[in-house]
Amino acid sequence: MGLDIFMNLSTPIAMGILLGGLYALIALGLSLVFGVMKLINIAHGDLVLLSSYLAFTMMTGLGIDPIISLVIGMPVLFVVGFAIQRYLLSRAFRISMEAPLIIAFGISIILQNLYQILWTPLSRGLTTSYALESISYGALRLPLVYLLDFIVAIVVMFILREFLRRTYLGKAINAASQDRGTAQLMGINTNRVYAFAFAIAMVFAAIAGVFLGLTFPFTPQSGVSFLIIAFGVVVLGGLGSIVGTFIGGLVMGLAQTLGGYFLGASAQMLVAYLIVLVALGVKPQGIFGR
Amino acid sequence: MPEENLLKVSKIDVFYGGLQALWDISLNVKFGEIVAIIGANGAGKSTLLNVISGVIHPQVGSIEYDGKNITTLEPFQVVALGICQVPEAGRVFPNMTVLDNLIIGSYNRNARPQREENLQHVFRHFPILGERRNQLGKTLSGGERQMLAIGRGLMSNPKLMLFDEMSLGLSPIVINELYRVLREIRARGIAIILVEQNVRRSLKEADRAYILECGRVTLSGKTEDLGEEEKVRKAYFGVCK
Amino acid sequence: MKVNLPRLKGGLAPLIAITVVLATFPLIGAPQSWLLYLFLFFIYLALANMWNLLAGYCGLISLCQPAFIGLGGYTLAILVWIGLPLYVGLIAGAIVAALFAVLISIPVFRLSGIYFAVGTLIVPEILRIVFLIWRPVGGLLYGKGAGYAVKGATLVSSAETYWLALIICIGSVLLMRFILRSNLGLGLAAIRDNDGTAASVGINVFKSKLYSFVISAFITGLAGAAFYISQGFIEPTSAFNVKWTMILMLAPVIGGIRIEEGPAVGAIIVVILHFLLARYGGVSLLIQGIILIIIMLLAPQGIMGSIRRLGTSRSYRALWRLTTGR
Repeated sequence: MGLDIFMNLSTPIAMGILLGGLYALIALGLSLVFGVMKLINIAHGDLVLLSSYLAFTMMTGLGIDPIISLVIGMPVLFVVGFAIQRYLLSRAFRISMEAPLIIAFGISIILQNLYQILWTPLSRGLTTSYALESISYGALRLPLVYLLDFIVAIVVMFILREFLRRTYLGKAINAASQDRGTAQLMGINTNRVYAFAFAIAMVFAAIAGVFLGLTFPFTPQSGVSFLIIAFGVVVLGGLGSIVGTFIGGLVMGLAQTLGGYFLGASAQMLVAYLIVLVALGVKPQGIFGR
Repeated sequence: MPEENLLKVSKIDVFYGGLQALWDISLNVKFGEIVAIIGANGAGKSTLLNVISGVIHPQVGSIEYDGKNITTLEPFQVVALGICQVPEAGRVFPNMTVLDNLIIGSYNRNARPQREENLQHVFRHFPILGERRNQLGKTLSGGERQMLAIGRGLMSNPKLMLFDEMSLGLSPIVINELYRVLREIRARGIAIILVEQNVRRSLKEADRAYILECGRVTLSGKTEDLGEEEKVRKAYFGVCK
Repeated sequence: MKVNLPRLKGGLAPLIAITVVLATFPLIGAPQSWLLYLFLFFIYLALANMWNLLAGYCGLISLCQPAFIGLGGYTLAILVWIGLPLYVGLIAGAIVAALFAVLISIPVFRLSGIYFAVGTLIVPEILRIVFLIWRPVGGLLYGKGAGYAVKGATLVSSAETYWLALIICIGSVLLMRFILRSNLGLGLAAIRDNDGTAASVGINVFKSKLYSFVISAFITGLAGAAFYISQGFIEPTSAFNVKWTMILMLAPVIGGIRIEEGPAVGAIIVVILHFLLARYGGVSLLIQGIILIIIMLLAPQGIMGSIRRLGTSRSYRALWRLTTGR
């Protein structure tokens, strides 16, 4: 009898872990932007969604596989991110403390409405052939996409870590996030570094968007849940630690799958959201935070 | 006529936070010179360095460096031209390793090709940095941080280095070490502006000095001529509103 | 060129006069559409004032307001469902919203401005899901989803809802004036400037923020409930919807954050905007978002702020440019 429950639990646990990788992936961009500019980009989720919708259009319109479409999607998001930071947010920072948040809010609303106009409120999904397949391992039946998400997440996190560690731009981003004034004295053009950091964050958002779209259906309002998940990952995992982000993702993923398992599908996001609030109340800096 | 001034600050007025901080400041630094700027707290010394570095821009007046007008340049452009500031207390990046701190010092494109060469120079000046190269900035002692900050500055291939209160809070032994390295730096042909509250030591090491009182230059000249001046002593003890 | 403007701050007389005039509208047979748009104006202004209190004076960008609006409305709907009078439901709605604010202040106030905004964003989302799956009192579903009709709302005349909204609106204006002149107001000004400094001079930062948050929740809940009396039904997706946030943020931004008359001026514009965009429902939020960004970048002081700025001399403007960095 006890073994039964365990066997049943193994699927949501495994799925939660795999999902955690995807969630960490979503959070990477948010974490990068926050670490560098101390701004929680409220529009982050909607920008991730942009990638999902772009991939959707390329899939249904041109028959391009979503993962392949990233070849176009990543540069597009890069440019969008660069432009948003360079022309909107950098000005906002000079205006007042509230301005960047308000501008980000504006961008979020504009995007949500735009999606509604262009793609209707209907639920969409990146339904490819492999998106529907499952893998069996013993008593576990895991959707293939979840596994794919997890592997991609690990690879991407590794790439980001190496980028930040080994390249000049990566080090500059790190320096600028620790002490902007001194970074300027080191010859770093902080305005440009910020724009690049944001643009790079958007590239990660692009990747996250495609894999999210492969894993779940999405609507114009999905951006908000993406944001909350990403935020939760950042709060749980702390900043400045890619490992922390990964762990944060795992917790969020498990919260959702286990919440869904015990309380039903309609409540699964609720458990995740509540955990974020609780985590906020307990330790805003995150478990691994500095 | 060949320009013997590396840096020429001409009659600048500087406002900071809405209030005037510097009035009609003029100073110059010749190639290879050590110039000291002395003054009490609040006299405007750090502001002056920040103006030269491009962090603040003067409302009136101009700054010329190596023949170029750099008055309105951004900090990163100033660094690229060869002026680097070693900020007060060093301000090393706490969560980066010593090595990374040094590497980021050579961020500007003009300095990147000489990175390895400059690293060796720095480790020769400060062997202890070589020992601690993989330690995080925040684990260093005060003196080591200052050394790291200086080393970081050297990585940018400067022709002019600005030192903001280099010896503040450090023990005499460490200060001695730092001044030794300062002389080695000068021997390499790099000009230096030294902002110090430690009047005696800085006057000993510098060629010329400017006394800053409440945002104005009240006295300047060769250090050998200034040594006994009553004003120098007053500047040291003076308090600014 | 100096422009002398009559300031609202000078005495209550103009306020009373305007209130009396507005109050007579239903009696003198003003057209229904006027009443409707004025009703919206009153509600929006109350909401905008409360957002201004938090954002402009406390430095708290609250994205949480839809939670209070929805809670006010749902408390009302539930209480009248079980038979309580409408106005009891109304007040209860405000109280529930205020209590809820106290509850979530625990996690949410530990956060600095940046975390705070997203933290407050989560709350309406949670409530939206909760009310989608939770049906506290059984019975009629209005449309699909967990909607409720507000029983007895149809018995309330539009004049009555108009006056109700007017009272709430004036209340919010007077409340703002009172707060800004009180010790709380002084404390808030200091907090907005710098949390740490404010704390060091003895201001209880947490309490000040908490009071403001709870007060804003109360009025917001009140306004929300009043809105739902007028509308007659409530359902989760629109009650806890971000479109509320857009309205109550846009008004102070357009009119002038941190300026007492700002939300009023802005609310007028927002209502006009809604009137113009009524036919273009699909792009309404898009346009509002664009306007929000444009105003924030080009005229962050809002209309009232810009007017005041025009009245200053050239050298002061030069000094302003200096203090904001070159």
